[in-house]
Amino acid sequence: MPVSDQELTSLAATHDIISVGMLADDVRRRHHGLTTTFVRVADVPADIGAPVSIPAAAGEVRIVGTPTTRMAAVERVREVAAVAAGASSAALSAYSLSDLEQLAASEAVTLRALLEELRAAGLELVAEAPVDRLRDARRSVEEVNIAGLVLARLTVDQAPSADPLPFLKSVAELQRAVGVLRVFAPLPRRINPAVPTTGYDDVKRVALARIVVDAVPSIQVDWARYGPKLAQVALTMGADDVDGVSADDDASGEGRRRSPLEEIRRNIRAAGLEPVERNGRFDVVTR
Amino acid sequence: MIERLADKVRAGERVSAAEALDLYRHAPTALLGRLADGIRARKHPDGLVTYIIDRNVNYTNVCVARCSFCAFYRAVGSSEGYVLGFDELFRKIDETIAVGGGQLLLQGGHNPDLPLTWYEDLFRAIKRRYPSFRLHALSPPEVIHLSRLSQLPVPAIIDRLVAAGLDSIPGGGAEILVDRVRKLLHCDGKATADEWLGVMRHAHRAGLRTTATMMYGTVETDEERLDHLLRLRALQDETGGFTAFIAWSYQPEHTELAGREATGVEYLRTLATARIVLDNFDNLQASWVTQGGKVGQLSLAYGANDMGSVMIEENVVRAAGASYCMDEVEIVRNIEDAGFVPKRRSMHYEILGDPIFREREVPRMLELATARQDGDTSVPEELLNYPARSRTGKQLRIIPS
Repeated sequence: MPVSDQELTSLAATHDIISVGMLADDVRRRHHGLTTTFVRVADVPADIGAPVSIPAAAGEVRIVGTPTTRMAAVERVREVAAVAAGASSAALSAYSLSDLEQLAASEAVTLRALLEELRAAGLELVAEAPVDRLRDARRSVEEVNIAGLVLARLTVDQAPSADPLPFLKSVAELQRAVGVLRVFAPLPRRINPAVPTTGYDDVKRVALARIVVDAVPSIQVDWARYGPKLAQVALTMGADDVDGVSADDDASGEGRRRSPLEEIRRNIRAAGLEPVERNGRFDVVTR
Repeated sequence: MIERLADKVRAGERVSAAEALDLYRHAPTALLGRLADGIRARKHPDGLVTYIIDRNVNYTNVCVARCSFCAFYRAVGSSEGYVLGFDELFRKIDETIAVGGGQLLLQGGHNPDLPLTWYEDLFRAIKRRYPSFRLHALSPPEVIHLSRLSQLPVPAIIDRLVAAGLDSIPGGGAEILVDRVRKLLHCDGKATADEWLGVMRHAHRAGLRTTATMMYGTVETDEERLDHLLRLRALQDETGGFTAFIAWSYQPEHTELAGREATGVEYLRTLATARIVLDNFDNLQASWVTQGGKVGQLSLAYGANDMGSVMIEENVVRAAGASYCMDEVEIVRNIEDAGFVPKRRSMHYEILGDPIFREREVPRMLELATARQDGDTSVPEELLNYPARSRTGKQLRIIPS
């Protein structure tokens, strides 16, 4: 049942986090039931020539960092794609769409031309589109689609304001316009260390995103960025997809006693949900 | 079935062990939270969420108990073992007072080289220098250790410590109050479940108020976790001496027991269940030190009405892998952001006032202090005045520092 504007305003203002979470959980269950997907990611740096190591468990190989030039962006995709092709069946994602917008502008090419070049070099997905940093969100997201690429996730660079509703409504409007968004990650990527977001802020933002942005199939939380505890609670309040699970299954590394795969599954099950691994192409992975 | 139990909780009726287990195992997390929050609201209709400014000091890490879940202790004779000197403790008290604190939470290992007189002299010295400063000190296993060490009964130990300046007893060392679990954790030697409860009974009879704790997530079953809560509830019915209950999850890093930490959702479910079962406890604390600030704050929606302590210093949980920090500014911001009114309190949950940083300038604290700086191996001079039990301790007493 759609939620009225008045109800949304009241939900955004309430401190009753459990009520907001229950409403969001209803929406989430309507979309996904108990299924909770997660993707194991291998990050590789954007610098040309930097070593590329891709664990076999990776479902997404992600080039992270800001490319300095168009040529460097394309060349790095070509390099990583060559390694990935021989080592893994993971999908290759790279870059932020806002960085690519800027790069295209600074090199006086169209965004579409740049995206097509990247695709020709082996790119499958644009890793993220920080909606609050895009110059023209609708057009740029459409260009990704037209260029034959997929947007891995719509993200938020910084928390927009105390009232998240106008922003979330603009995301819902964007999806109505483009219809291609698969995943929305509503928690900000950049946090003010002096005033970090609180648990209530984060969980409410996830829950409201699930309620307001109903037409985007998945609401995502990042395991590594927000930590397992907050991310797990968010799964009970509207989120259904987990990003940032390490693809490195070497349990002896980094002092780990449990592999990331075992941990993510345990956490999802402990939240009363069913874990399903997917890859960057959104295909279910069976191992 | 769950809905019938939920109605019972809403009506303010007491739940049985079987009913509590059903709720814990089968109620949706949101429903558990709702029920717990309803109890919190009934007990604290003013919307206040309290916290205390005190310092969590561990006077020694030398311990003969050797609990398998502990990453903090060092064996007798270890080069990493320490005992804090009186002057070091005075300095810590000065720092605590500077940020508005009025109490030490003072706990430590079972060090065979610290006799009862060391504690008495320390407490008296603190009270002489800081007459209004409070000592929330020595968990039940430490009291039992002193009882064994000095061959005096527990009530006599409590009486002597109170005479020296002890104000209240922290609920540490409870772990899970089921002896099967305590044996598996190698902590039945330091105190059986009955012994732990016995110390609290004596303390309450002596007029002391104490807290109660639970460290869950090691080897206990759900039933045993509930047994723990029910045993606390029974003693509270008898004495009414507990001021608060604090649950935290076992922290496995660097411990002999190893394993994995219970998840955040399990913490919220455990907290909410505790709020439902412990109907005779006024206060439940959020354990931000083990769960982090975010889940710590979310605890306020799952039955907690207190954000615990600013801590200033923490050693035990840090040794096992968790290193969160919240100073008063951050605790207050989180309380207000959750829609509550923050108030400073004493250990007895008397309201002391509004946040101290709004009354005067207080230095921000971005990380918790530790007992000692790395590499500080100094031995306090006054230790020479006390007889040691261990061979290493005796040697240290002989060799002038």
